[in-house]
Amino acid sequence: MSRSINFRMIIRIIGSLLIIEGLFMFLPVITCFLYRESDALPFAGCALLAIAGGFALTRVHEKRRSLAKRDGYLLTAAVWLTFCIGGMMPFIVCHPQLDISSAFFEAASAFTTTGASVLPAPALTYSHGMLLWQALLQWLGGMGIIVFTLAIVPAFNTTGGLQMFNAEVTGVTHDKLLPRISHTAMALWGVYVALTGIVAVLYWLGPMSLFDSVCHALGTVSTGGFSNRAGGIGEFNSDYVMAVCTIFMLLGGTCFALIFRAARLQWRAIAADRTFRIFIIVVVLFTACFALFAASDGKVGSWREVVLYPAFMVVSTITSTGYTIPQFVVYEPFILALMVLMMFSGGCAGSTSGGVKIDRLIYLSKYLGNEVKHCVMPNAVLPVRINGRVVNPDLVKKVVSFLAIFAIATVMGGVALSMMGFPFVDSFFSSLSCICNTGIGSSIIGYGDDFTTLPTAAKWVLSLLMVIGRLEVFTIMVLFTRVFWRR
Amino acid sequence: MKIVIAGAGEVGTHLAKLLSNENQDIIIIDKDREKLAELDADYNLMTECGSPTSFFAQKDASVGSADLFIAVTPFESTNLVACSIAKSLGAKCTVARVSHYGFLDPDNRHTMERMGVDRLIYPEYLAAKEIVTALEHSWVRNWFELHEGRIILVGVKLRDNAPLAGMQLKDFASMGHFHVSAIRRNNETIIPRGNDAMLAGDILYITTTREHVDELVRLCGKVQRKIKRVLIMGGSKIAIRLVDLARDRFRFTIIDNNRETCNRLCEKCPDADIIFGDARDPEVLLDAGIDDSDAFITLSPSSESNILTTLTAKEYGIAKSVAEVEDIQFIPQAESLGIGTVINKKLLAGSSIFQLLLDADVSTSKCLALTDAEVAELEVKPNAKITRGPVRDLRLDSNMTLAALIRDDQGMLVTGNTTFRTGDRVMIFCLAGSLHKAEKLFN
Repeated sequence: MSRSINFRMIIRIIGSLLIIEGLFMFLPVITCFLYRESDALPFAGCALLAIAGGFALTRVHEKRRSLAKRDGYLLTAAVWLTFCIGGMMPFIVCHPQLDISSAFFEAASAFTTTGASVLPAPALTYSHGMLLWQALLQWLGGMGIIVFTLAIVPAFNTTGGLQMFNAEVTGVTHDKLLPRISHTAMALWGVYVALTGIVAVLYWLGPMSLFDSVCHALGTVSTGGFSNRAGGIGEFNSDYVMAVCTIFMLLGGTCFALIFRAARLQWRAIAADRTFRIFIIVVVLFTACFALFAASDGKVGSWREVVLYPAFMVVSTITSTGYTIPQFVVYEPFILALMVLMMFSGGCAGSTSGGVKIDRLIYLSKYLGNEVKHCVMPNAVLPVRINGRVVNPDLVKKVVSFLAIFAIATVMGGVALSMMGFPFVDSFFSSLSCICNTGIGSSIIGYGDDFTTLPTAAKWVLSLLMVIGRLEVFTIMVLFTRVFWRR
Repeated sequence: MKIVIAGAGEVGTHLAKLLSNENQDIIIIDKDREKLAELDADYNLMTECGSPTSFFAQKDASVGSADLFIAVTPFESTNLVACSIAKSLGAKCTVARVSHYGFLDPDNRHTMERMGVDRLIYPEYLAAKEIVTALEHSWVRNWFELHEGRIILVGVKLRDNAPLAGMQLKDFASMGHFHVSAIRRNNETIIPRGNDAMLAGDILYITTTREHVDELVRLCGKVQRKIKRVLIMGGSKIAIRLVDLARDRFRFTIIDNNRETCNRLCEKCPDADIIFGDARDPEVLLDAGIDDSDAFITLSPSSESNILTTLTAKEYGIAKSVAEVEDIQFIPQAESLGIGTVINKKLLAGSSIFQLLLDADVSTSKCLALTDAEVAELEVKPNAKITRGPVRDLRLDSNMTLAALIRDDQGMLVTGNTTFRTGDRVMIFCLAGSLHKAEKLFN
């Protein structure tokens, strides 16, 4: 049997995914109708176009029905590209009427849960459909559109589906929750939908308007960080909303498999999970640092400024949500440095957060610690142990190389941006912010401007970085190797 | 259906792949983390690292809610203990692979049940039975009987001299007594259509009724030869089982190159002639009387030796050759090299467990697993999809074909005009991984 890439099958699957995206576009269409907005028609047009295109692609008949590893990588990358292209159409035809590069940036930013926006403010001038679409895109991208497809289309319940799952889901290793991949996908999406539903209700009780609560719920659990308000979540100026948001961002940054186990009351699994414990410890430590700085600033007004705002900012940054609140104003260099660290780190593997994932940093720190010990005791056997189990050295190698490639990609992105005449700090900060899917603009840190001023080429560079970061480097990087394309 | 397999050895792995392709929920338990990692990465199943006989590992694999627990590690005591634990945890049905005939003895049935072992798989015994069938029907490669022989499926390799060679399927079908269910050509099994022709070198899987078997022998250009003298290379467990099973019908000679084994064989198989020597050496073969033998069976542990020695033996005019090929990847090659019947314990164990699975799902079904296809007998349930019209209007999946059916104890072949009724037992031939689709049609 030949091992060449199964292009026909890939095209057909992309077609069916495009149809799914088209169907999702009807949600904004309905919203537009409800709010009697003029965007309904263009939106419906985009939806029909996506569905028609999808149908055209599904007409391709594959010769064989098997997907190998390579197909999985290519398919995942191609699906994300097509989804971004499909998702950008409304941005072009509807109200803001962006040019192609801005629209693609916007769609990629939403879909990779980065949350960086090039939409000219203020956000309130956009139709509700548009805002919902933005929120929906990030929500679909958060858990992953392929995982979604695996959950609902039984035809992918095969080895091929497994390859796609591995290429899309974040993390070092991919724990299967249930024997069949579609059931695992269903479990993950079940958790995701449930969390989103709960937070939407909690927001609504806030009180928020129904629309605001839905949009923010979609942005919170997916750790995307798009807000339909110009002032973001801080505009509500409610401690309750902020606290709910903090908790659910934290859950969004937790391994979903773990939440699934918790929902099944398997407490032993949670107690044994070191990663989650370290994640919580890190969050608490950083919050304490932030709080100390805020307190030492001398402007301590209330407990909010010491506890709530720092906690919100820490969680928002480390889970790569990127919600910012105007209430938090202490951007000392040390705080910024901590933020950069947190952006890089990200949440737990198998969550919707970005960054390199805290799991990998645990691997790295243990590995580096061992290397130092090796200098003293050259003959000692020092394996990397995670959750009490010795990890295969190959896996450690893969993690270390992942981190190296990630760092190199970040630096290269920064270099590329600075080449386009972007200020030095902005270049590197934006590059990191995008590859880590955080989406905090350099305007926040008080240096440069927001993403709205980006030159065209920079938008493409950052879009690529976002996708690289979301699909965890290897899925995209293998496509640039000669080995991949060789027959 | 949720199935837990203990032991990621060759049988376990083979089964896991097979069953996972059939859309079953598979969890596989083994101690070897690396082997599991490989399986986990490439197949749609879940793995659990731990000893199959550990309560913890079994609980983690949620054996308690399993419909079927299959223990196929290389050690029978491990398998039995694992089954016992699984049963106590709540597994519905447990299957253990054993390697001693004593466990199968009906007298010990009760002990086994008390231990919590519902079914036993003894691959060596299955292999011996398969060989006996092959010897009795020397002109075919596979022989599969359904419903006390009312319907017969044969796998036969077409030679140049066969009257069938070059004939189109629709012409052959118009004779009315035969149904070509599958063709194996260039190491690939295809479900043929009317316009396909049968070529020399193809292995045909033909379904027919008992009365027309003799006609088929002639059409395939074969001669049914009576086998009397059988030469066996390798005194394995299969050989002992085989001799035990068929000593009244055949005269056996066993060659083995281990003195100890030979001595033991003398005790176990008093009716057979035992010869000490290396059967790969033609001189030894001649001494053992290959010239007068009708059949030659190779059962040594090495697949390569078995294949090559069989080829040597064929030069002495053997009527029937059987080779044990344990490396599944060699089987297509062995078949194309002209080895009469290939025996593989894993496939046999696999199909036998598969049969258990079908038994649990559908009332009673028989199943035969070939390298990449399965044959099953399924009963038509009331209001099944398949009863909706004649076969030609059913628009069946191209990966399956309905070969024959049994209605009122009469065997008949399926044609385009056949309409199924509730209670018919249909013999279905499908490529690997599509049996579950077929089952949907029948329920």
